[in-house]
Amino acid sequence: MSHAHTPGNGGAEHPAAPTVDEITDFEVLEIAVRELAIEHGLFTAEDHRRFTEWAESIGPAAGSRLVAKAWVDPAFKERVLKDAVKACKEIGIDWAEPTGFGTPSDYMNLRVLEDTPTLHHVIVCTLCSCYPRPLLGMSPEWYRTTNYRRRLVRWPRQVLAEFGLVLPPEVEIRVEDSNQKCRFMVLPVRPAGTENWTEEQLAEIVTRDCMIGVALPRPGRTADVHPMHRARRPVGSSRD
Amino acid sequence: MRESESRGTPPAAAGKARFKVGDRVRVKDLPNLFYSRTQMYVRGAVGTIAACTYQDLIPEDEAFNRDGRIEQYYIVRFRQKDLWPGYPFDNDTLQTESPERWLEPADD
Amino acid sequence: MAGREELVQQQEIISFLQPALHMPQNWNYELASPVVKAYLHPPHDVGGQFDVPAIYEEKEEEQWELNTYVTCEVLGWRGIWNSEERRRRADNDLGYAMYLGIPYYGRWILAAARMLVDKKHIALSELIEKIAEVKARYARK
Repeated sequence: MSHAHTPGNGGAEHPAAPTVDEITDFEVLEIAVRELAIEHGLFTAEDHRRFTEWAESIGPAAGSRLVAKAWVDPAFKERVLKDAVKACKEIGIDWAEPTGFGTPSDYMNLRVLEDTPTLHHVIVCTLCSCYPRPLLGMSPEWYRTTNYRRRLVRWPRQVLAEFGLVLPPEVEIRVEDSNQKCRFMVLPVRPAGTENWTEEQLAEIVTRDCMIGVALPRPGRTADVHPMHRARRPVGSSRD
Repeated sequence: MRESESRGTPPAAAGKARFKVGDRVRVKDLPNLFYSRTQMYVRGAVGTIAACTYQDLIPEDEAFNRDGRIEQYYIVRFRQKDLWPGYPFDNDTLQTESPERWLEPADD
Repeated sequence: MAGREELVQQQEIISFLQPALHMPQNWNYELASPVVKAYLHPPHDVGGQFDVPAIYEEKEEEQWELNTYVTCEVLGWRGIWNSEERRRRADNDLGYAMYLGIPYYGRWILAAARMLVDKKHIALSELIEKIAEVKARYARK
């Protein structure tokens, strides 16, 4: 890989990635594997296109909608806590997509973890990067790093503090290590100052980080701010 | 074609779950060879069954594409103090999943 | 194709890859059990290992990364492998140096390639020729 980036160097000062004509080793390998798989009839170009379309349609907005609806509708919240996969259908998310039996990697066991004023959940997958894609989209890169996976289970309060979240000792922090076939999402406590808000207004403050548990929703906080490492050829920039 | 079929239809029942919510269990320290999803940091530790979840293949078999052994899975809750020496916050907990074969009753 | 000078430089980088058990290991007639266990420990099981604070970055997704994800999932959809097998191959079978040194989706695509060769869906010679052909195709563009 020709782009010299040292992981873990802080990374806050990345220059914009240069426009590069050169094709990287992994780009080449990806094309070779995909083309050979299609040539050998292991899957079709149409399969690939259809799954890509689904992958590009998912994102954390669905999770935000689910949390907002649970905040305003106690009966819906009960349904979410009882059978989250089923409740997802009410906000337009079908975990059986895009194959009819779900994706191979996300399974169909979703559990929503409800925070209280004295209990805060935070999610990690120490073994890989298990994440509820149908509801939250693709996991952020930091969630996949060995750093987050090594440290969160053992030093959760330090890691949360690095995300800007400091909780008092009397609040129980419950780390959920998502290591098998359940997928997890945090249902945060509805913050003060949001009385009489509409579901749309509420959804805006339920960011992805709030649903992983590394941030808390609050009025005025509508985005997760992290340094951004730019792609050389981002999704959508080229189609071959 | 195993993947599509197993995800499409529920696996055959594994029989009655051995543990129930609230039971105290110890995570076994079985030998590591080639693959496991039972983390080193929970091995030997005692926790409480927080949920009986689903029945499915065990990872050691599924990772080598073998059908067959279906087991009950659980979510187990541990006190952080029981996992990490010197952990300073009494209330903090950690949950993770385990198939039945990795758990044994703990009478502590 | 790389020139000789480039290949010599490449050789130097390869020589820096070393097993990283920082203990004397000159005569491996016998190993103490904790050392054997350390070697047999699945690399993906990292929870609780020491590390230093870091800045948690976002990363914009590359087109090849999304394509890799989709290829691996579609191979699962079509029954060529399952996700547990993918995790075994991408997170463990590559070994520590590659596990810690290669980008996330780089490991996925390597795992997929190796699986297709292992299961005799494609021959390694065929894959190598294809890689060279793709490289040449894009070099001309």
